[in-house]
Amino acid sequence: MENKQSSSPASFVDSTVVPGDVVLDLSSMTSQTIKLGGGLRQDCDAISAMKAGTLRFSKPNKYWIESSQKRYVPCVEDTILGIVVDSKADNFLIDIKGPAMGFLPVLAFEGGTRRNIPKFEILVESSHNSILFSMRLIGLYQLEVGTLLYLRVVKANFGMNPELSCTDASGKAAEFGPLKDGYMFETSTGLSRKLLSSPTCPVLEALGKKLSFEIAVGLNGRVWVNAASPDTIVVVANAIMNSESLSGAQQIIMVDHLLKNIQ
Amino acid sequence: MEEADEMVTPGEVLGKATDLKAGKGAYAASHNNTIYASLTGFRRIQAPPPASNDKRPTVEVTGHKAHGPVPEPGSVVIARVTKVMARTASADIMCVGPKSVREKFTGIIRQQDVRATEIDKVDMHLSFHPGDIVRAVVLSLGDARAYYLSTAKNELGVVSAESSAGATMVPISWTEMQCPLTGQIELRKVAKVVN
Repeated sequence: MENKQSSSPASFVDSTVVPGDVVLDLSSMTSQTIKLGGGLRQDCDAISAMKAGTLRFSKPNKYWIESSQKRYVPCVEDTILGIVVDSKADNFLIDIKGPAMGFLPVLAFEGGTRRNIPKFEILVESSHNSILFSMRLIGLYQLEVGTLLYLRVVKANFGMNPELSCTDASGKAAEFGPLKDGYMFETSTGLSRKLLSSPTCPVLEALGKKLSFEIAVGLNGRVWVNAASPDTIVVVANAIMNSESLSGAQQIIMVDHLLKNIQ
Repeated sequence: MEEADEMVTPGEVLGKATDLKAGKGAYAASHNNTIYASLTGFRRIQAPPPASNDKRPTVEVTGHKAHGPVPEPGSVVIARVTKVMARTASADIMCVGPKSVREKFTGIIRQQDVRATEIDKVDMHLSFHPGDIVRAVVLSLGDARAYYLSTAKNELGVVSAESSAGATMVPISWTEMQCPLTGQIELRKVAKVVN
């Protein structure tokens, strides 16, 4: 374990760290507030890494560790794709690829009251076959088990099930809710973040120039694609899945290659 | 007090009401003036206190783990929080008054019983975390699964808690506790410990 006595912060930023590395030494820094993001913990005067990944810094004072994994750790204000697994008295149980099921309150829809619980009647084909039940829930809440939803995380505390919502902070629907038709596939959390970064990810830009499709990216490692023809959906899905370890230029070459084959 | 005699079970005859008085774990049936045991344990006879008029010795049934303290409505208990959910928190009751319990009892603290003011704006996660030790009062026997507990008084609430860094936190107000290692402040419903 490296333990530099007087380490300037710049030495570790943007380099790979493993759990146990002391990345910042507070005693050598002038008195300032720094904000620690995910993956870092404070041990009196030393800040050490808890996750393996790249240390990132953003002005003026934010440090965090970026890494990509298959499992999602819920975080407040993330937008994710969830699959309805069950419904209880006043919550739907949603699978979000995290350590615990998410709870979606029955009233967390735009204009939701006890009298107009939304009825979702379209069964969405999803690639998550292990929880695709074909039964239809009878009763007030006809949100089909297996429906794919675009959701926002409202509360995510350690040890509690995360609370989700189908509205934005002001109560409007704003694109949240069930996703009809299309195809959903799973990716790592790092790829989801890259797809959502701005400026637009090269693979999406290259695909968007030649094809027209609709896409929803969940930060929990799920991506949903919809287009007019199944061929387009398959090309887009394959291009995205291939692009994880490629650089920008390589992604554009890969997309050109794929599109040439189908034309 | 004589030596403990044989083990008795509920329903066994312990003696006649004319000879004995019913103590803990025993009761007198009025229709035939007999004393029966109501708990499992050892039958003990205690000599009558010299000052009383009644010269009958007291028979009681003691010595079994079921005779450990049992939470009653109104008793103050110490419990460890096991699970915090959106509107309730579950806790394992460890002590009733000054004595520790000998069997497992579960309690539930509902959102409306956490504090006395603004009870519908309570955030359970800002009041308790799993692993906290709380002092609470038993409201009722609750349902089959758990007792109902309440921390809605100044002297009730979190007595001891660990911070996310692993150190025991120091209370600084009725809503805040501070970690001595990192200085981070965490929110809890803190009990006012009066010395």
